[in-house]
Amino acid sequence: MNQVVFYFLSAVILVFSLLTVTSSRILRAAVYLLFVLIATAGIYFLLGYNFLAGVQLTLYAGGIIVLIIFAIMLTGSAGEKLERPSLNKFLLAILISLIGTVTSLILFFAYHSFPVIGNEIPATVKMVGASLINPGDNGYVLPFELISVLLLAAIVGAIVIAKKATR
Amino acid sequence: MNLNDFIIMRHELLLTTVIIILLIAEVFSIFEKGEKSISEFSFGIEMFAILLFLIITLVGFVPSGRGMLFGGMYQTDEIRILMKNILNIGTLIILFQSVSYLRKNENKEKSTEFILLLFSTLLGMNFMVSSGDFLMFYLGLELATLPLAALAAFDKFKNKFSEAGIKFILLAALSSGVTLYGISMIYGTNGSIYFSDVSLTFSDEGLQILAFIFFISGLAFKISLVPFHFWAADVYEGAPVNITSYLSVISKGAAVFIFIILLYHVFPVISKEWTYLLYALSILTMTIGNLFAIRQQNLKRFLAFSSIAQAGFILLGVIGEPQLGLASVIYFVLIYVFSNLGAFGVVSAISNFSGKENMNDYNGLYQTNPKLSLVLMLSLFSLAGIPPVAGFFGKFFLFTAAAQKGFYGLVIIATLNATISLYYYLLVIKAMFINKNEQPVEYFRNDFFTRTGLLICVLGMIIIGFASFIFDGIFSMS
Repeated sequence: MNQVVFYFLSAVILVFSLLTVTSSRILRAAVYLLFVLIATAGIYFLLGYNFLAGVQLTLYAGGIIVLIIFAIMLTGSAGEKLERPSLNKFLLAILISLIGTVTSLILFFAYHSFPVIGNEIPATVKMVGASLINPGDNGYVLPFELISVLLLAAIVGAIVIAKKATR
Repeated sequence: MNLNDFIIMRHELLLTTVIIILLIAEVFSIFEKGEKSISEFSFGIEMFAILLFLIITLVGFVPSGRGMLFGGMYQTDEIRILMKNILNIGTLIILFQSVSYLRKNENKEKSTEFILLLFSTLLGMNFMVSSGDFLMFYLGLELATLPLAALAAFDKFKNKFSEAGIKFILLAALSSGVTLYGISMIYGTNGSIYFSDVSLTFSDEGLQILAFIFFISGLAFKISLVPFHFWAADVYEGAPVNITSYLSVISKGAAVFIFIILLYHVFPVISKEWTYLLYALSILTMTIGNLFAIRQQNLKRFLAFSSIAQAGFILLGVIGEPQLGLASVIYFVLIYVFSNLGAFGVVSAISNFSGKENMNDYNGLYQTNPKLSLVLMLSLFSLAGIPPVAGFFGKFFLFTAAAQKGFYGLVIIATLNATISLYYYLLVIKAMFINKNEQPVEYFRNDFFTRTGLLICVLGMIIIGFASFIFDGIFSMS
């Protein structure tokens, strides 16, 4: 059963990823991306990472897609059709991605010692929260705090860009 | 946390405190309405920030031992503290050089934001240099990059500036995405993100090497090594001169530091592979940087390509004999901070005064501004590696480190490239001293801060060249 669900989700991800990059209407591309992100959340559920799946749904499928759609609407290019790329570019892109995929696949299958970390500790939300404020081994309080500085700097940077010209 | 932990983390903690103080001070500035008071206020804040940063720089030199905090996510030792001190000195010089830029009418209102963003990027670099795992490394890299995009687009009402900002952020996002993919592959194949664990389990299998190549592309972008250098010239030309010098010196220096730490401590197992890789990148970077630099007329673009070429020379030390390599790279970056900031300081002063940035505008500069011409001459000599100034010793030790590993071919190519670079550095000097000009840039007097900044650069270039104990000290630490 699990395998069936896994292959179904993978197929959804593949098909909609392809549609995302090939669609010539930008709003549709954003919606296709939404399905990709939701299916990814499904894979997390399948693996038992409930917290990660929740984050994926609220943050990516909820927040980021809405942001993208807002940006598209605000710039007023929602209905426009994108230009088709020239045939040369198209072929070149296919060639490069094929080379990349084939190289990665060969290397992935040639590699045989992935360390398997068992799921013996259930990753409950409580544990995730505890490790976020744990300053010791395997604790993430320092990155957590650093992210807040990063967000602050990003906000200040956005204000600089958005500030009106001097009188 | 006890007191000792605070001393170990002093660079980051103090800088965070200063960022918060400045942020609060800026909030109170809205109560001060009126043209004159805003101007006075922003000047006050600049002085305040420089003073606080001077204190941080001095406190940075307080000796403290090695240490590890937060379960190994934060590491420090003498050599990392030295690296952070070098970055601090460079940022201090840039602050000095930025005062006259921030005094301009259109920038007065944004001066606090400028300093805030500058300090945030420096904080990111400090954390990056001190990181003990890939998560902290990545966050430091992002914090060092994102605010820089806003700074590059600081004069956003000129098209060139917003172009610089958008180019920078798109390419930075792409390269950091590739790096993140590499990190995820490293995690997948090793089962840990801590440097100490990864260094034990890393092997030379294909997938791990692919992960490594993806991973270093983000750093190569920051160092502007050749396949990743396309952003450099356009962004350097478009951004304000102070930010250009920050990008080419501090940002690049920090990336080089963490690059060499990672290569020596996390990926020593595949040292044969990355030696070949960097060998090729070094030749490409030096040669292409030099060939493009010859053709440039705009001084900022010119310095951009020359700094790409310098990055190629740095790689010589990275793949050289380890102890001498590490010492010579740090020493070279220290000298590079002073020489490049000296050159950029003069370009920035002239651009602020007259808006001229082309090489032809520098014709006959010696007649009108002899002191500035002399500073620029010394800096360019130091960049080219001419003996009395420090740059010579920097290159000399880099070449020695590579020669000790037996890379004679590479050293010969590097020497040829150094000769080519001498040609184009001398072009600028010829323009200033020999070429005639009907209307040279008029005489002008710099303010106190610009002069102090340039004076520090000149002193640094001369003293570091003669004081051999500095190199010995770095050598014994590494």
